[in-house]
Parts: sequence; structure tokens; C-alpha cells
Amino acid sequence: MTVAVRIIPCLDIRAGRVVKGINFENIIDAGDPVETAERYNTEGADELCFLDIDASYENRSATLSTVEAVASQVFIPLTVGGGVSKLQDIERLLEKGADKVSINTSAILDPSLVGNAAKKFGSQCIVVAVDSKREGEKSYVYTHGGKNKTAFETSAWIKIVESEGAGEILLTSMDRDGTKIGFDNELTFSIAKDLSIPLITSGGAGSIDHMIEGITDGKADAVLAASIFHQKEITIAEVKDGLASKGIEVRL
Amino acid sequence: MKVGIIDYGASNLYSIDRSLRYLGANTLIIDEPNKLKEVDKLVFPGQGSLGSAMSHLKKIELLEDLRTQLKEKPFLGICLGLQVLFSKSEEGDTQGYGFYKNEISMFPPDLPIKVPHMGWNKVFIKQDHDLFTNIENDTRFYFVHSYLLKDFDEEKSFSTTHHGIEFISSIGDENIFATQFHPEKSGEAGLKFFDNFLKWNP
Repeated sequence: MTVAVRIIPCLDIRAGRVVKGINFENIIDAGDPVETAERYNTEGADELCFLDIDASYENRSATLSTVEAVASQVFIPLTVGGGVSKLQDIERLLEKGADKVSINTSAILDPSLVGNAAKKFGSQCIVVAVDSKREGEKSYVYTHGGKNKTAFETSAWIKIVESEGAGEILLTSMDRDGTKIGFDNELTFSIAKDLSIPLITSGGAGSIDHMIEGITDGKADAVLAASIFHQKEITIAEVKDGLASKGIEVRL
Repeated sequence: MKVGIIDYGASNLYSIDRSLRYLGANTLIIDEPNKLKEVDKLVFPGQGSLGSAMSHLKKIELLEDLRTQLKEKPFLGICLGLQVLFSKSEEGDTQGYGFYKNEISMFPPDLPIKVPHMGWNKVFIKQDHDLFTNIENDTRFYFVHSYLLKDFDEEKSFSTTHHGIEFISSIGDENIFATQFHPEKSGEAGLKFFDNFLKWNP
């Protein structure tokens, strides 16, 4: 009787192609973005997330063309992130067919960007991506693709962007990213329990059970994964069947 | 047949344009009054705030001509395009076109739900309508909104949806149909809905 949990495959984009790599190295071509997007759409993806992993000027325009090509063929919500640093970047992405834009490093450098973007384009299209890493009992926000530690504790930072007007939080556990041992549900739950806006959990998904736990234990509204879907280890349809078997609402 | 898409300055009208063109429709973006004459059907996209939409329409001198055409041409309002038909909204003290007197309100703050209501939710079809042809009851469509229509005439309410509370997710009245959900982001179901709109002859 309520809104379905969302399954969101994430695609890394570079120079107009889908790429994959391990820890940002050994990046290899993984296909055409439109074909990949169509495949995920057919499998039942509820949204698509594109991450522009190379923010150079030439490739930025390639990304815009990619967004436009995908948006002309696949009619589900598209979130695009990577190197978004000013209102003009957001405007261009939305014009080309993005529905939401994810902001990460630039939000830390200037938190008012979130507020200004929410005012201009509406909260619903501003996703704040938060890369979080544990340090003892605490978790801190990192920027620049996980390279630079900030002084912000994860929960405090998310409160700030929520009050600035972010429409959604994409929370990635750097400790779990790529490990396939499951989401950091303790972290996710500690954030989700006090959050009024939707939360997407990311980092660590390796099985259908992990997806289920992200929802039941982490209390996330959506789960995001890249490599397990790319490598066809599990399909989106299998994840949805698994969630549905636990009584979790999904779009089948 | 040409479909006009109203440009009120702050919306995702291009997603609607792309969906309609994907289905083979002829479209025209309406950003000044003269273009209204060239189109047979109208779509009012959804996104942004009611206040800025109304003031932008006034600025480009579309407000009054559109009011007349709204009663004549097959009209599809999406999200804000539904809310704009009503007289008032809790979103600021803005006046919409005021064809209907019910109020557009916020999701009650005490509900254990996330707002905006964002994602795929079921549309319970209460009455048949040409725009729901070949769309099964309880199909999920994509929603993104913080304001809603809680009460409306039974005869003009075509579907409801539940997110914490039940609200009206589509209304219809002669040449007018309007949805709280976004067909342009609702995958196959949305394309089917748009195809029905293109064939619609109220």
C-alpha cells in the first residue's frame, strides 16, 4: 500500500561510453550507454544513475550527449552526477534529460549550492551524494571520489544538506564499496531513522540477501549497485523477486 | 495532429516532449500565445512551484489565452499541471486557474512517510477512462511531489494512490485529464498512457 523500494543500477560513464574499473584503475570499456540503459530498463530498473568519472571539458560534453541519447530511448528517472559544481552544470544536465542531479564534492566546498539549486530547480531533482568512511565510532564525509577527508561527521553533514533542501541522499559506505559483503546497515539505519527525505544506500552489495538487509535493517528507501549488475551476477528481476518474497513492496 | 507543451519556464517539459516524439507525435513547445492556435491538444508539464508557473504564464501573456483553450482542447495536466487547475494551494498563497475549488494541501507532517513522495506507486483506477485503456488496475507509475489533492468530486476522480494517506492521483472532466504521477517517467505504463492521450477524442 505504499511506494515501492527502488532498485537503481549505477553506470560509470567516460567519454560517452560505459566503463568499469577496479578502484578507479584498469578502466575498460563495458558497452554502449543506451544499450546498457535499455537492458536495465527491460530488467525492471526503477531508475538509472550515471556517474561521469572523468570531468574534463571534452568528456563533459560527451556526457551531455550520452544523457540526451539515453533520455530519448528510456523513459524512467535518470540521475546524473560527477563534477557538478555550479547551477549552470545542473541546468545543462536537466535540459538534456536528467531528472535529478547528484552533487558531492561541490556541496562540501559550498553548501549553499544545495540550497540555491533546490530553490531554482526544486528539491526533487537535487540528490546529495555522501561518501562516508568509518574511523573508530565515528564516520566522516570524504570528497573528490573518496580521496580527501573532511571535518564533517556523516550524520551532521546529512542534517545540513537536508535543511538546505536536498531532495534525496545517496549514502555510500567507502568501507564496504567493492567488498560485496553487504551494505553498512548500521550506518544507514543511524542516518535513515532521523531523515525526512528518501535515502539510497550504496556500497557493498554482493547478493540478493544484502539488498533485502539494506531495506529491512538499513531502512533505506532505495538500493544502488554497480558491479553485481554489470557482471550479471544477479539480475534486477531476481533482486525484486527476493524483496517481494519478504513482503517488501517492489514494482514487478 | 499536433500536441502543444506549455513552457512555463521551470519544468521538465523536454522529457514529455521526448516521450511523445518517441511515440511518433508532432509536438510544439508553447512559449507565446500565437503558438496556441497551431496545436490540437495541450500538455501542461509538472515541476516547479505553482506561484512561479502562474507568474511566468502571465509574463509571457499566455495566462488568459490558455484559460480559454483549457476548456476547448483535449488537455493533459501532469503533477503541477493538475494543481494549476485548482483555486488554491498551501504552497504559498498562490491562486491557480480556479476551475475547481478544492485545496491542494501538503502531506500531513505527522505521518511516518518520506516527503517528497518519490518513486513508483500503485494507481487504483476507480473509473474507466480512455486514458487508462489497456492499463491494468494497480499499475505502478512514477510520482514526485510534496503537495496533493485529498478530496474531490467522486464523478471526476479517476484514480487514487496511497502514501501515508489516500489521495486523488488523477482527475477527469470532459476535455480535461490530469495526473499527479509522471507518465513521462513511468516506463512502459507511461508510454501506454501517452499513447492513449494521443488517440483520445473527448
